Amino acid sequence: MSRFLLAIQAWWRTLVNAEFGRQVAELLSGKPAAPALPAESAPFSKPEPAAQKQPEVVRRPQRSEALTLLATLQREARLVDFLKESIGEYSDAQIGAAVRDIHRDAAGVLDRLFKIRPIEAHEEGAEIQAPAEADRYRLIGTVHGAPPHRGRLVHHGWEAARCEVPEWSGNSVASQVIAPVEVELLG
Amino acid sequence: MVAKFVIGIDLGTTNSALAYAALAADKPQVQVLPIPQLVAAGTVEPRTLLPSFLYLAQEHEVKARSFDLMKAKGRDFAVGELARRQSAEMPDRTVGAAKSWLGHSQVDRHQPILPWNAPAEIPKISPVTASQRYLEHLVAAWHAAVPDAPIAQQHVVLTVPASFDASARELTREAALAAGLPQSLVLLEEPQAALYAWLADEGNRWRKQLKVGDTLLVCDIGGGTTDLTLIGVADEAGELVLRRIAVGNHLLIGGDNMDLALAYRVSELFAEKGTKLDPWQSISLWHSCRTAKEALLAADAPKKHSIAVLGRGSKLIGKTVSVEVDRELVTDLLVNGFFPECDTKDRPIRRRTSGFQEIGLPFESDTAITRHIAEFLAQHGDPKTGPVQPTHLLFNGGVFKADRLRTRLVEILAGRSKKSPPRPLAGATDLDHAVARGAAAYGWSKERGSVRIRGGTARSYYVGIETSGLAIPGAPRPLRALCVVPIGMEEGTAVDVPSQEIGLVVGEPAHFRFFSSSVRKQDKPGDLLSAWDDGDVAETDSLEATLPKDDSLPDSYVPVHFQSKLTELGVFELWCVGSQKEQRWKLEFSVREDAE
Repeated sequence: MSRFLLAIQAWWRTLVNAEFGRQVAELLSGKPAAPALPAESAPFSKPEPAAQKQPEVVRRPQRSEALTLLATLQREARLVDFLKESIGEYSDAQIGAAVRDIHRDAAGVLDRLFKIRPIEAHEEGAEIQAPAEADRYRLIGTVHGAPPHRGRLVHHGWEAARCEVPEWSGNSVASQVIAPVEVELLG
Repeated sequence: MVAKFVIGIDLGTTNSALAYAALAADKPQVQVLPIPQLVAAGTVEPRTLLPSFLYLAQEHEVKARSFDLMKAKGRDFAVGELARRQSAEMPDRTVGAAKSWLGHSQVDRHQPILPWNAPAEIPKISPVTASQRYLEHLVAAWHAAVPDAPIAQQHVVLTVPASFDASARELTREAALAAGLPQSLVLLEEPQAALYAWLADEGNRWRKQLKVGDTLLVCDIGGGTTDLTLIGVADEAGELVLRRIAVGNHLLIGGDNMDLALAYRVSELFAEKGTKLDPWQSISLWHSCRTAKEALLAADAPKKHSIAVLGRGSKLIGKTVSVEVDRELVTDLLVNGFFPECDTKDRPIRRRTSGFQEIGLPFESDTAITRHIAEFLAQHGDPKTGPVQPTHLLFNGGVFKADRLRTRLVEILAGRSKKSPPRPLAGATDLDHAVARGAAAYGWSKERGSVRIRGGTARSYYVGIETSGLAIPGAPRPLRALCVVPIGMEEGTAVDVPSQEIGLVVGEPAHFRFFSSSVRKQDKPGDLLSAWDDGDVAETDSLEATLPKDDSLPDSYVPVHFQSKLTELGVFELWCVGSQKEQRWKLEFSVREDAE
């Protein structure tokens, strides 16, 4: 792999993965492993001379990527509104009308952030051979004998080809907020 | 330090993008750079497009540091996706279409005038500064991704609309240099960039698809603008070469107009059901209408498409309303409205609604893009053989994701030549990034030697000269236009303009009115026009020069003639050269003085 591609990869992972960022900070500092501290990734600064290229180690409020993902699904697809609403009182047609938009926008988020794709290319229902090191396969039914096993494909599985949850940089007051209160000013 | 990369930047009216290619590679391997940007307060996500919107923050948002972007702390503005989303709910605080303002010479582009018509207490910025902010963001994203290749040391190609005149190009350049792009920056016309993207995709196969004598129409319909370019295929010493023949005028009409037209019609359908939409819902309707447009204008479109607007508060399903939109409605509104049937003699309908026209952006009054194309092809045709008949067609811009609009344009152009309809060039599937990718591919072929499109200047330029003669009280002296740059003047050349001597007053600024034309191919440097058609010749920012007082000069004025120069980078310069002494003064665009 070219060093350039490696640099980009390392940059993204530093951005989206706190643990990876900590490891990069350690590597760059040349010191032995230190206790985990949130390391600030270095984007959006002018390139600095190599001597000053120590990443700043700053304490800043963090929040779980899971919350950031929920906030994204709410902002773009209104998913939390949808799931929190009691749907018993509505007709199927009315639910259906809302679901098209939510479905389109939530699927857009999943595609963009995770690039989700099937693991197994065969049609469901086809007879396939599960590979010997079957970490990504789940065998069901009567399992006996030594792998590889043959069987009918029930579900093609899903995997994420990337994982790019937005980075959150807000303050601690807002860290648990999934959707802010909205107030329209009158006048 | 030797450049390692070529970088192509598409500074778009609604979206910007950056693509790059390593110079060391054997072929241009162009990649699009993901651009981290704020998508909500305190939330940063990389996207391949940077929406060209700027949001001016409120005080409490600055205090809460909601718009911190990595190391940029306490910012009072945000660009990109967050700003685009804000444009619906807070139009007074959101700048959009800064690029269209750059090309609009009726206003002072250095003055803080945007957001246009916003209340006085809201901070404002100039179109030049807004463009600079978008470019700074792209530059920062580049430095973050590739810290060991400072952009100032790379080869950078920035695209501009083909219809931008010398003054708008100069302002773009000014914003670019302020954002940290190198002096060696090259400006490339967007439709040409789209063609370079196609050439890069095709490799050497393009020579099989095009032959000598072919004429290619590049039809680039972006969010807010339509840009037309004709490119001819010629033979030079047994080698196929591409030559840009003509560019169209700046047309402020694009895909956003179509989506808005549909959204307006659909909001009427909602109103019939008794639903009034708030601004947030209108934006989500706009979004849904774009999807509906692409679905209903696809090759195998369904008869109907349901458009829903979700309830505003947290009660989502209960307040969701939906309407069914027929395919016929969309076809009628968009295909017949924006791409109506027309023949070679049709022309856009131009009307002034009243004597008092607002100074805002000069949007086209005729939305029929096909009639604008008909006019363009007629203007550049031959008096004997009639309008140009393109043999090939290259689509660019997100509008052409809709199949029906592509086929419609081919049908209408085929109407001109029943025997051989223009052939759409295959490929160029990535319509959103084609211009940025093409710009990088162009930079690569410029450095490494590969096929280039030639053509020189797309416009001719004229300096206004007041004729001496009997002055009539109250009437301006008659004006004549001296041609200083012909259409097709090549980069890296200069011409001495033959003319009578012009007297320049010493010690005070001398102003010259300045004009351009994209159709007057016959004019040569030194030609003096005494009458012209307003549709053919447009006035742009004036030029000025101040000659310092010089005691060695006997008179209070200096006789000069003009010399025009087009640098290797495509920058236009006009010089006054003293007739008696070897002295030169450069004329500069005086955009400030033109403010109304």
